[in-house]
Amino acid sequence: MDNVNRNVAQDAAVPTTPRVGVYICRCGGNISDVVDTEHVAEICRLIPGVAVSKVHTFMCSDPGQQTISDDIKQEKLDRVVVASCSPFLHELTFRGAVVRSKMNPYLYEQVNIREQCSWAHKHDPRGATAKAIQLISAAVGKVSRATPLEKIRLPNHRRALVVGGGPAGMKVAADLAACGISVVLVEQSDRLGGKLHTLNRLFPTGQAATELAAKMESQVLADPKIEILLNSKVTKVSGFIGNFEVGIHGSFGPAGKTTDIHTTVGVIVMATGFKPYVPADGEFNYKKHPTVLTTVDFNSLLATQNAEGRILQYEGRSIRSIAFIHCVGSRQVDGVHTPGPDGRINTYCSRACCTTVLNQALQVRQRFPDTRVYDLHQDIRAYGRGHEDYYTNASRAGVVFFRYHGDEPPSVTNANGPTSPLRIDVKDYLSWGEQLELEVDMVVLAVGMTAGSCETLVDQLKLPRGEDRFLQEIHPKLRPVEISVNGVLLAGTAQAPMNIQETLAAAGAAAVKARVMFSTEEVELNPYVAEVDTRLCEGTGACITQCEYDGALVMVETQKDGRTVRKAHVNPGQCVGCGACVAVCPTQAINVNGWRIDQYDAMVDGLVRDLTPAAV
Amino acid sequence: MIATADQERHKDAVIIGGGIAGLQSALDLADQGYKVAVVERQASIGGRMISLSKVYPTLDCASCITTPKMSAAAHHDNIELLTYTEVNSIRPGPEGHTVVLTRKPTYVNADKCIGCRLCEYACDTEYPDGFEQGLGSVRAISVAFTNAIPQKAVLDADYCLACGLCLRACPTDAIEFDQQPRRETIHADVVIVASGFQLNALTVKPQYSAARNQNVISPLTLERLLAPHGPYGRVLRPSDGKIPESIAFVQCAGSRDQSIGVPYCSRVCCMYAIKQAMLLSGSLPTADITIYYMDIRAFGKGYEQFYQNAKAMGINFVRGKVSKIDPVDKDDLLVHVEYTEEPQDCVRKQRHDMVVLAQGMIPQWNPTTLSPVQIAGDGFVATPDPVSPCATNVPGIFVAGAAAGPKDIVDSIAEAGAAAMEAGRYLSKRASLDHAGRAVALELIA
Repeated sequence: MDNVNRNVAQDAAVPTTPRVGVYICRCGGNISDVVDTEHVAEICRLIPGVAVSKVHTFMCSDPGQQTISDDIKQEKLDRVVVASCSPFLHELTFRGAVVRSKMNPYLYEQVNIREQCSWAHKHDPRGATAKAIQLISAAVGKVSRATPLEKIRLPNHRRALVVGGGPAGMKVAADLAACGISVVLVEQSDRLGGKLHTLNRLFPTGQAATELAAKMESQVLADPKIEILLNSKVTKVSGFIGNFEVGIHGSFGPAGKTTDIHTTVGVIVMATGFKPYVPADGEFNYKKHPTVLTTVDFNSLLATQNAEGRILQYEGRSIRSIAFIHCVGSRQVDGVHTPGPDGRINTYCSRACCTTVLNQALQVRQRFPDTRVYDLHQDIRAYGRGHEDYYTNASRAGVVFFRYHGDEPPSVTNANGPTSPLRIDVKDYLSWGEQLELEVDMVVLAVGMTAGSCETLVDQLKLPRGEDRFLQEIHPKLRPVEISVNGVLLAGTAQAPMNIQETLAAAGAAAVKARVMFSTEEVELNPYVAEVDTRLCEGTGACITQCEYDGALVMVETQKDGRTVRKAHVNPGQCVGCGACVAVCPTQAINVNGWRIDQYDAMVDGLVRDLTPAAV
Repeated sequence: MIATADQERHKDAVIIGGGIAGLQSALDLADQGYKVAVVERQASIGGRMISLSKVYPTLDCASCITTPKMSAAAHHDNIELLTYTEVNSIRPGPEGHTVVLTRKPTYVNADKCIGCRLCEYACDTEYPDGFEQGLGSVRAISVAFTNAIPQKAVLDADYCLACGLCLRACPTDAIEFDQQPRRETIHADVVIVASGFQLNALTVKPQYSAARNQNVISPLTLERLLAPHGPYGRVLRPSDGKIPESIAFVQCAGSRDQSIGVPYCSRVCCMYAIKQAMLLSGSLPTADITIYYMDIRAFGKGYEQFYQNAKAMGINFVRGKVSKIDPVDKDDLLVHVEYTEEPQDCVRKQRHDMVVLAQGMIPQWNPTTLSPVQIAGDGFVATPDPVSPCATNVPGIFVAGAAAGPKDIVDSIAEAGAAAMEAGRYLSKRASLDHAGRAVALELIA
């Protein structure tokens, strides 16, 4: 294939006669039960450039890796291809193996013949074998044109920005500071503690939330490594791991004077928390009747209620009965619930509300034994350690439970005005679908959690949000505190609904990742970034228009033959190697390292290469 | 790195348990530059997770996402793996914790073994394979499972006939019939207990007839049946190899049940039952699948949506309590259910080909006799400090994952990170104290 875009400088590093080693893994039968690995190895010897082609039962095992090392030395290999599982699993393993043999790790290519061949074509062994050969042939083509690459090394600023002064933010700040890392903690309100100030007795410890807040606050205040900025907001953020430039605006100056500061941090921890769901006016009669409260309101009622007596008092009324309604603003059903202002419904479970209700219901029964309590739920999700006890105890304390279906939520009305009791209509499935009417003095709505707002950071750092609008982790199972933007971490309910203990655990997990990021003097980034061939670049700016990452591509002016010329310039820290620029460059002056267009051409050549012995 | 033998040494941290929580803690500590030893009772690291088929709510292949963690730990310069090793005692002291271990004999020299499995192929003594929940068989000398780490053979002395076939088959003369248990002592500044969970017995409720009928199975057995590299390569019921047409999941069959001493919720069963039901309907599209439950506790991120998807797929969710299960016509099962939602005729008998009991999670290991670590009323390690959810009653000993109560993988991973952070803080503090102490000492000398 004629490569019109051939990059002369890079060609210099590509050997004319590469010596590629091809290693085919049986994966203990995972591959070889379907793919004829011995045949594959035989055919691969016919691919131009291949010096060695071998099969091993477990390439990733130490003996397997040793084979590669030995061949690099004895057979003078300068390129390696391993055909095994997904690179996601073992790319780092095999790169490590070639590095131990003093070879550049980016002269290594992995072919996935397990997921893509033996597993995908279990019932077609011939087809799977042929496909494996084609994929290996493509990889040999690609790796033959690979050039040695070095990781991009940039300075690492040993300072963390923690956004949010709630329990998650305080925990991260305290953890990092205890390890000697300086922290700037930005909190938009005038005090630390966040939602702890809206809580009362925490489950499952029974500890007062204010006590926990005070304890955590004193830890944070006592540590000189933590700079606390109250009444402040992040207004500007740019940069990349190790090197984020942050602008903060707030009234933290002397005598509360409004000030703007600028700082450089290596890591940003999003501890931006959640917002309690606010029912719409009239939703379950909220805001239409004075005794329809949310669990947040009810927490402050319980905290401030000092009156002695067997009946709960509220605004001069005796509350003889309360109904708690679960899943308000959570587990909403399409077509049943009215979408919020953003046109969406919350289909997710908010996790903490069930035990919150049980905790509150139990407190009412214990403190005000003549106030009756009803609990209207879909499922009681008392999953956590000690939570089931709240359910059992609430039940024993006389809380009466009703179960409704998500698509038949209870209705709350007050036909006779604000002074009359409230009426609840519910189809109760614990009495086999009986339509029940309850008359109560108060309704408490167990409101869920909705995603917190942190739009400046989300917009400027391009942080992804999930369907539920919480910040989206990289992998919900394995990497819950990391986000796709390197150097940004998620702590607590910014990522998903969780209770206090889970929040503290998630914050600890985020803190440890931050500490690991600070464990080196420099940050190392993968070299898969765009590179401009300045001889070909004509400064059209097409690439910059296409680039989605602020500052990744800029136009610089240089002098050439006494004239000022414009050339595109890549900032490797910001570039993610997406390749959008490559596609639009009219002179093909820009390429992504490790994935150059001539490598793609070679892969295509490899895919269509006829490897029947006669043809070779 | 795989351990080499020496008798007494120092580590920054010892982690008890090489499951997903222990590995995550180990990696998070090792990445901070601390030297870590991971102690694992079994022949391979990977814990419960490596034996699962797929995981909720992403339906990732469990092997495929566990192996990289295992591999990362095995190749980490700061991590030493001590597999096939039991903990004898953990004694705290002013100089850190003294962890005494027993390296059980594998009868194979780990330095010589290349994991070629020729011994395994040569061996002609077979016994039920624990990794496959007893469904397949394994040789008396074998590598634990396909993607085990380390890939080293282990000889099971309970089954070995000492016939010498392996001895002759081994190309590297690695078989050592005369190996003895070895005692090793590690002095560590911190210990993380990540000893995980086990399920209570399938027979804990005799009325569910697990002792009388092979088709009343454990969810871990179903995981193996569903795994792509499982014992049969497809879903067959154990008693007669029939492809099951009707499968029931009985939830809370060993939890939320005061009569068996497990009053708490095991937290993962709702979600794995939903996941297994989904996977079953994928592999057996015509099968009827019913989940008998009390509450569906789909509380985590993306879980509720996962549950709603399962309902939309036609999986039958029945709110009810199973009172007993009777074998009928030899291999089938009659499930007696009290319907607590609807219809109103309350108690029914439903016939199923196979029944999966959601056994409860109980602690795998009780540290109290071997260490001063206290457990709570539920038997799991107690965590008395609300601000540090991973701190035990002993300074410098932390807990992560299901050792501190039932927990799913994602929560275990988060907690393992938090435990590594707590441990890192403790180590930093010790280091600064040491440093101060040394400074004073130097001053005195001067």
